[in-house]
Amino acid sequence: MPAYNLDVYMPVVILMVIAIVMVVGALLVGKLLRPHNPTALKEQAYECGEDPVGSAWSNFNVRFYVVSLVFIIFDVEGALMFPVAVIYKKFNGIGQGGLVLASLLLFIGVLVSGIVYCWKKGDLDWVKSFTLESYHHDRDQAQAERKTA
Amino acid sequence: MMNDNVVSFFSDSPPYQMLNEKLSWLLNFDTSGMLTFVIYFVAAFVIVNVMALVGGLGTYAERKISADLQMRQGPNRVGPFGLLQFLADGVKMIMKEDIIPKTSDKYLFFIAPILCMVGVFATLAVLPFSSGFTLTHLNIGVFYVLGVSSLVGVGIFLGGYSSNSKWSMLGGMRGASQIISYEVPVTLSIIAMVLLGGGLNFKTIVGAQGGMPHEWFIFHNPFTIISFVVFFIGMLAETNRAPFDLPEAESELVSGYHTEFTGMRFAFFALAEYVEVFVVCGVAAALYLGGYQVPFGLSSMEVLHTKIGLPMAPAKMIGQFLEIGGFVTKTVLLYYVVIWIRWTLPRLRVDQLMTLCWKYLTPIALFNLVGVAVWIYLFNGESMWNLVFKTGAAAAGHH
Amino acid sequence: MFDNFLFLSSASLTIVGALAVVLAPNLMHACTYLLTALVGVSGLYVTLSADFLAATQLVVYVGGVVILMLFAIMLTGGNDNKSVNKFGIEKVAPMGNAKTFTLAGFSAFVMALVILKIIANVNKATPKAEMAPYETTVERIGELLITDHVLAFEISSVLLLGALIGAALIARPRRREQ
Repeated sequence: MPAYNLDVYMPVVILMVIAIVMVVGALLVGKLLRPHNPTALKEQAYECGEDPVGSAWSNFNVRFYVVSLVFIIFDVEGALMFPVAVIYKKFNGIGQGGLVLASLLLFIGVLVSGIVYCWKKGDLDWVKSFTLESYHHDRDQAQAERKTA
Repeated sequence: MMNDNVVSFFSDSPPYQMLNEKLSWLLNFDTSGMLTFVIYFVAAFVIVNVMALVGGLGTYAERKISADLQMRQGPNRVGPFGLLQFLADGVKMIMKEDIIPKTSDKYLFFIAPILCMVGVFATLAVLPFSSGFTLTHLNIGVFYVLGVSSLVGVGIFLGGYSSNSKWSMLGGMRGASQIISYEVPVTLSIIAMVLLGGGLNFKTIVGAQGGMPHEWFIFHNPFTIISFVVFFIGMLAETNRAPFDLPEAESELVSGYHTEFTGMRFAFFALAEYVEVFVVCGVAAALYLGGYQVPFGLSSMEVLHTKIGLPMAPAKMIGQFLEIGGFVTKTVLLYYVVIWIRWTLPRLRVDQLMTLCWKYLTPIALFNLVGVAVWIYLFNGESMWNLVFKTGAAAAGHH
Repeated sequence: MFDNFLFLSSASLTIVGALAVVLAPNLMHACTYLLTALVGVSGLYVTLSADFLAATQLVVYVGGVVILMLFAIMLTGGNDNKSVNKFGIEKVAPMGNAKTFTLAGFSAFVMALVILKIIANVNKATPKAEMAPYETTVERIGELLITDHVLAFEISSVLLLGALIGAALIARPRRREQ
């Protein structure tokens, strides 16, 4: 027997079970009511009336991956900041607010420096911009390659 | 009991204690645990049904308000003012043939709507309708909402993936990346409110506010107003509402991640979305707009019992209903704004979406967080109105 | 009563989910099984009254890591259920031979002994007779982060900064050089 009263978590489990039962139940009840006559055309993926060419499961751009990587880092930062935020008011009440504020500001400062770095380096851009500079750079390199070859 | 929730609300009343005694005597064991379960189950069942109704009325409101904005009639055939339209839609949905694309991933196709529903419904457990009629006041309240609602992102991604249709796949990828991106400014805004409230529990946060607008956290200091705007924009994006409805952009992606879902499977995605909008509006109301607080402390026992002289039990009930009324009013107003925005603003492009999130909202939210922290330190947690009154009083006393 | 139910259901979710992850041939399916296992672990944290840790588990793992994995799978084109990729190489590599299985069994045995040794002490501790009221761990964690472990708190931000820069560096498109 654990030493804590966990009854307060009962509604969470109840609600999750209700959600699952609702979906499964509605699909099962619907089975009695709905028609079922599939044809080959019906079972095609709808792509604006065109026949689907190939599978949709193809390689996706790396930037989705980068966004989720950056997100996880912010997520962990948030998870670390929450407990400190909770006690801030209490500590401020007993005159220790400066301590919490200082460590919180230091923490956020390091985080901000990371964002500034990514911003400057263009990692926050969704569309990697095509500038004249990068064009010249690529062209010069291509020319240099041709010369050596 | 430590926690003030539905069960403790009922277990204080004499009929409950009588029933508990009778049952315990009848069945020869302590039935309070069983009764706790029954109360929780009934309350959860009621809330789920009310929320399903809210979701249904949400679709009705959406169509009616959009019609209003575009000078049309909107649904007006089924029932008075077309109010029963959502029931007719529900009947239609359940009679629709269930088509699963042959090339799809059957298991994921089945699991995706379930994940969305579970993620949204689990957040209902802590939604603070009133001080007594909340299912449970978890100590991790807001953080718990952030955690379980992230299941929706997985559900949307898997919905897009499992269909094996290019449009769905694009919608799913966009949806998941958008939801996780906007979670960053939303989390940072919530942390600012946690600084003010001094707890993650919704009861603590709402309790730290008051009934009148100047006691709400949104008007606590200049930073919190910006914080509310950031939270609201992030909230629109997290629930895939316009102008952030890129995952289901009908003009480019057919219908996005749920293109291939028919009948009830589609209905559950839609229901999950509308209920989620209600939930996040409720969270916004609780964090910024004073939640279930009623002006002049009308809902407290002090006023209803002592001053007006109502008997104990009805006073308690009336207080709770007043609080529910206050909470629902604020939430529904926000809901209206959400729908209003949808039919007013055009959709963003993907790169604009990401720029808005990472280059505007996140830095602003960080700035707000620092601003709120410094404000609390400098003015000892006083709101700007208190400061104004104080300086005013001091000046008046001076002359 | 509910405590037992919560523990048993979370534990079985965790174990079944973890087993399914290992046995699933489909990567995407394995991800959803991993999701169940992670939710189960968060339920286990709840039974240990570590409520903040449970929510963190949900926020970071369910909301972040699982989505990251899904995106990582999409980076490689998803799983179209073919056992051979376009280069003609088997995607699911053979899991091992007699030697590796023997080694794995042995290490699992040693691990089990170590864990049992740790758990034995827990069983010796006298169980509390009465159910204590549920208390939040958030404030305790916050106090410790600010007082005793403030250095760890600040250093973790530097660690995360390193991770952020690393993530950005990996994903940066490289110019053709040399």
